[in-house]
Amino acid sequence: METRESTGKAAPLLAVRGIYKSFALNAVLKGIDLDVMPGEVLALIGGNGAGKSTLMKIIMGIYSYDQGELSINGAAVALNRPSDALAQGIYMVPQEPLLFPNMTVEENVIIGFDKSKAELHKELVDTMAGIGWNLDLGRKASSLSIAEQQLVEILRGILRHARLLILDEPTSALTFDEVKSLFGVVRDLREKGIGIIYITHRLAEVFDIATHVAIMRDGSITIQGPVENFTREDLVKGLLPPDAEVSAQTRTAAASEVDYSARPVLELENFSGYGFSNVSLKVWPGEILGVAGVVGAGRTEMATTIFGMDKVLGGRVLLNGNDITGKKTRQVILAGLNYVPEDRHLNGLFKICDVSANTTSASLYGGALGRVFLNRKAEYDITEKYVKNFRTKITGHDQLTGSLSGGNQQKVVIGRSLATSPGIVILDEPTRGIDAAARGDVYHIIQQLREQGLSILLISSDMEELEELADRVVTMYQGRINAEFRGTDINQDHLTAAAFGIVGQEAKGI
Amino acid sequence: MKDRSLKPNASKTLRRLWNGSSFRWNLFLLALITAECVVFGVANSKFLSLPRIFASANGDLTFWYVSVFVTFVMITGGIDIQSCSIVGLTSIIIGVAWQDFGMNIWVASLLAVAVSVACGALSGFFVAYCGVQAMVVTLGGSFLYSGLGLLVSTLSSTEAYKGISGFPDSFKALTKTKVFDLIPLQMILFLLLLTAAYLLLHRSKYGRKVFLVGVNPAAAEYSGINSRWISMSTYILSGLAAGITGVVMTSQLGTAKSDLGGNFTMTIITACVLGGTLSTGGKGSAIGTALAAISITLLRFGMPLCFGVNKQYLDIPIGVLLVVVVVGRAVFSNPSVIAWAGRLRKKTTKAGS
Amino acid sequence: MNAVKKLIKAREFTSFLFLAVLFLAVGLINPAFLSLENISACFNSSVVYTLIAVGMAFAIFIGEIDVSVGSTMGLSAAVAGTMIQNHSNWLLAFAVGILIGVVVGLINGWGVAVMKIPSLIFTLGTNGILRGLMYLQVGVEQVNSLPKEFKDMSSRTLLGNFTVYYCCAVLLTVCIHLLLTRTRRGRYFIAVGDNAGGAELVGIPATRTKVTAYLICGVLSAAAGILFASRIGIVTSLSGNGYEMKAVAACVLGGISLSGGVGSVIGAGIGAVIMASISYLLVFMGFSSNYDNAITGVILITIVVADALMQYRAAVNNRHARLAARTSAALGGKGAAGQ
Repeated sequence: METRESTGKAAPLLAVRGIYKSFALNAVLKGIDLDVMPGEVLALIGGNGAGKSTLMKIIMGIYSYDQGELSINGAAVALNRPSDALAQGIYMVPQEPLLFPNMTVEENVIIGFDKSKAELHKELVDTMAGIGWNLDLGRKASSLSIAEQQLVEILRGILRHARLLILDEPTSALTFDEVKSLFGVVRDLREKGIGIIYITHRLAEVFDIATHVAIMRDGSITIQGPVENFTREDLVKGLLPPDAEVSAQTRTAAASEVDYSARPVLELENFSGYGFSNVSLKVWPGEILGVAGVVGAGRTEMATTIFGMDKVLGGRVLLNGNDITGKKTRQVILAGLNYVPEDRHLNGLFKICDVSANTTSASLYGGALGRVFLNRKAEYDITEKYVKNFRTKITGHDQLTGSLSGGNQQKVVIGRSLATSPGIVILDEPTRGIDAAARGDVYHIIQQLREQGLSILLISSDMEELEELADRVVTMYQGRINAEFRGTDINQDHLTAAAFGIVGQEAKGI
Repeated sequence: MKDRSLKPNASKTLRRLWNGSSFRWNLFLLALITAECVVFGVANSKFLSLPRIFASANGDLTFWYVSVFVTFVMITGGIDIQSCSIVGLTSIIIGVAWQDFGMNIWVASLLAVAVSVACGALSGFFVAYCGVQAMVVTLGGSFLYSGLGLLVSTLSSTEAYKGISGFPDSFKALTKTKVFDLIPLQMILFLLLLTAAYLLLHRSKYGRKVFLVGVNPAAAEYSGINSRWISMSTYILSGLAAGITGVVMTSQLGTAKSDLGGNFTMTIITACVLGGTLSTGGKGSAIGTALAAISITLLRFGMPLCFGVNKQYLDIPIGVLLVVVVVGRAVFSNPSVIAWAGRLRKKTTKAGS
Repeated sequence: MNAVKKLIKAREFTSFLFLAVLFLAVGLINPAFLSLENISACFNSSVVYTLIAVGMAFAIFIGEIDVSVGSTMGLSAAVAGTMIQNHSNWLLAFAVGILIGVVVGLINGWGVAVMKIPSLIFTLGTNGILRGLMYLQVGVEQVNSLPKEFKDMSSRTLLGNFTVYYCCAVLLTVCIHLLLTRTRRGRYFIAVGDNAGGAELVGIPATRTKVTAYLICGVLSAAAGILFASRIGIVTSLSGNGYEMKAVAACVLGGISLSGGVGSVIGAGIGAVIMASISYLLVFMGFSSNYDNAITGVILITIVVADALMQYRAAVNNRHARLAARTSAALGGKGAAGQ
């Protein structure tokens, strides 16, 4: 993997050398080398969890790094906080706009500048005229659509005369025309010699706007170079792990066949909600249905809406033939469906509570733990059952889950969802942020459950994982199901391509 | 390797007790109380007379009863600063209903407690279902309920500042009777309330839900728990406690006044925080709060008696106590401090071996 | 026309309207009220509330709170009052009083911004300590023989019936408002309360801003104390009790949102006038003062609940719009398959 320093003569605008970063035991960045020259648009692609966001936050001074070096125009810099990065002419347009909701558009853009308000106003107006974006400067930011908020963030970056502009998925909420004008802006900035790092999930955009491309996978850069050196297939390959070729045959044998003639456990009919629309799928007893896709595809939103956490906009959800559309969470759990949240830190764990409180938190309704008083023995039994089955490494039931490793934390949360005796469990990114050994344990658990006749809806961005575990896989893209794969068609190639929106003949279309 | 397959037995229970998050802090509070008794007892032997202590505690009943249940509120991450106003409202309702409306004193008391529960429910509804900050709602509530108390007092023929008195003996007996000729009934009542609070908070499924909602309301929702109802119910409980306090205080003082609740708001919060309740929610102990309340009362009794400290300066040590406890806890739960302490311990054990 | 429209939409305008309607309503019920004397009396009597409310506004802007303002005010009044009573140099007394505010503000700022202790709890603690210190200062010996000149200053009038004090307070409020809205650093306070994460991203020093906010709050409370001593003429150990809650109410009535990031000190000033006038107005309306607290409570709760509901709805709508955009993008823009 060669950097381009050896080929270019001028010092790169931004040079990243050997950056390592771990969060606790989790290594997120494993030695990143990257160059951005002035006037370059570097497209940075990678799956979820590849480390792109972390790297950008390090460049922007929000995170610190464990090892490595950053230089601007050949001179090493220390970027300990965002104002340092701003002073160096770096600006990041975040993926989710971070505007001040109660300020107007104009106030949001010009805050933090030294120049006079009149000057800034003129500059802002001129810039907007130059781009051709029409935005009422007096509107409150909270009233803007997401697309408009994103435009405001981009305006901030332009007005800062950044030397290096980082755009984190800038087009995720823009319409076709807005995207075109954004590309015009990007080309303009390129001509002015500004370097741009452009993070995207849309491979098509790479060929439209980027001059160079780099692919991140699992904390390192796998491919880097000028865009013209690559084809789309090359990029997809770069997103896969090196042993992807062999993967087609690694499905564990001795898996019992799924009876597709039985009544499906879960059925979605034209199910629509916020973030996804017209999803129809079925899950059969004892089946593991994988749901692949990239961040923002709508998978989690679909799951949480099934689970009663958000409003249903249309369609139906049938569980064992019973309509549970729009029911509250507790009723959904009682009906036999449970959900392991995507972000266990935010939504899954009670970190300052112990293992038994966490394991039994969903069992507090009904009689499992007693009538009024908590049946300590029942609590112990339930907790012990899952600790033993999952081989969870704890010092005792009274250990606080906040001090467990990621893998063991996940086991506790999975145990909780199983304690309510569901017929189907939705697992949302169950192996995110856990080490390889625990990952193997979780796979074993999933397969065990399958053997016992439990159905699993496995939402995952890890194509390898889906390949190994799933009986069938559907992929979601921009809120809709765009492909379904069975049998040997479940391989990382197909899944990755479909997740990025590329669907070919192999996909049994919906 | 610990054999985890053993069923719970005595030593396991003991171990679990020791590791229980509140147990060690409660021991500290017990030690604090003991220290106070020793220090004050030595300074002035008159301190160590139970009748005197009980007598002085009579005035503090408000915050004893109420803090134990405000603990519930704070565990869910909220706060309740309207209790004192509700106490006064309860008191005046008893007085006016009995004297000017001719109700039976016990019926009047029941009515007053019902009103106090409604007050708690109203504020709880705004906090839990409308998403308003607890501090502001209960602030408005404190204005509203004390104002209502004043208005109720105008319904009476007695002037507001005089207060209604002359209650029947059976009512006054509530707080004049002494069990074993020593312990006033209201102390027994406190123990009963404390037991109820302990069972509710630490032994029942409801209490478990209260903790979970306080630790992570989102995860609680994902576990199928109705976080909003649980949150609102804690305000109902603290309203109820304030109502009961109103009845007891009215009986004890023999007067019904709309400002009977006094100015105990800060003391209530201090008792909760000192008792081990995290203001951010998720941690707390009914027993801890009770022990903290007792230690504060001993302080308020002991300092004037033994060291001649004027009663009005007592806010200083209590304020200092609050700040020290909160800052100390923040410092010692800071991960870098814990890491430093760990290194220090390693160094000393290495040096020792 | 645009400027007028913007003015009307402002939250402060609603508060001002509320005040005007209040005055008019009272005037309708009891025409004796509508005299320049009475109306200016309402404003004049709010001078102490105004300063404290403006100070509290800073704490609320950054998304926190300060419940020690009443005791800061009281302690400053007590110390400065004692000094003046003992014939010290007035300026020295003022300086000492303000210094108390500085110290309290810095301590509060440290506890909340640096030690990250929840602001309600920490300022509750400092409040207790300050109250105790007040007893130390004026518990035995009240301040009740202030020199006549000092007390008379409070009744000197400037423009018609408005006292010098109130005119100064208004001037100060307006100046602060201009500083907050027109200077670069001034906008930091609201920004930190509006979106702390976003503020860091654009280079705003959040911790420093928070400490500054508490510092200003402390100083203004201390200044209010000196004015208090001059107006009321007596400082007891109970002076200032409950003023923090009145200040919060004033801010809320003035359109400041308790979650931070919204509002202006002008609003705080208007809210202060409303709070100060309520009892006065109720008398003219024929209500006894017994209704004060109840009505204040109802007003406060209503406003706060309405505000919270609106904010909640806005947040939910935003999130839904965000999510809906993801799916409509598939239809409207660059399509899904095959590109």
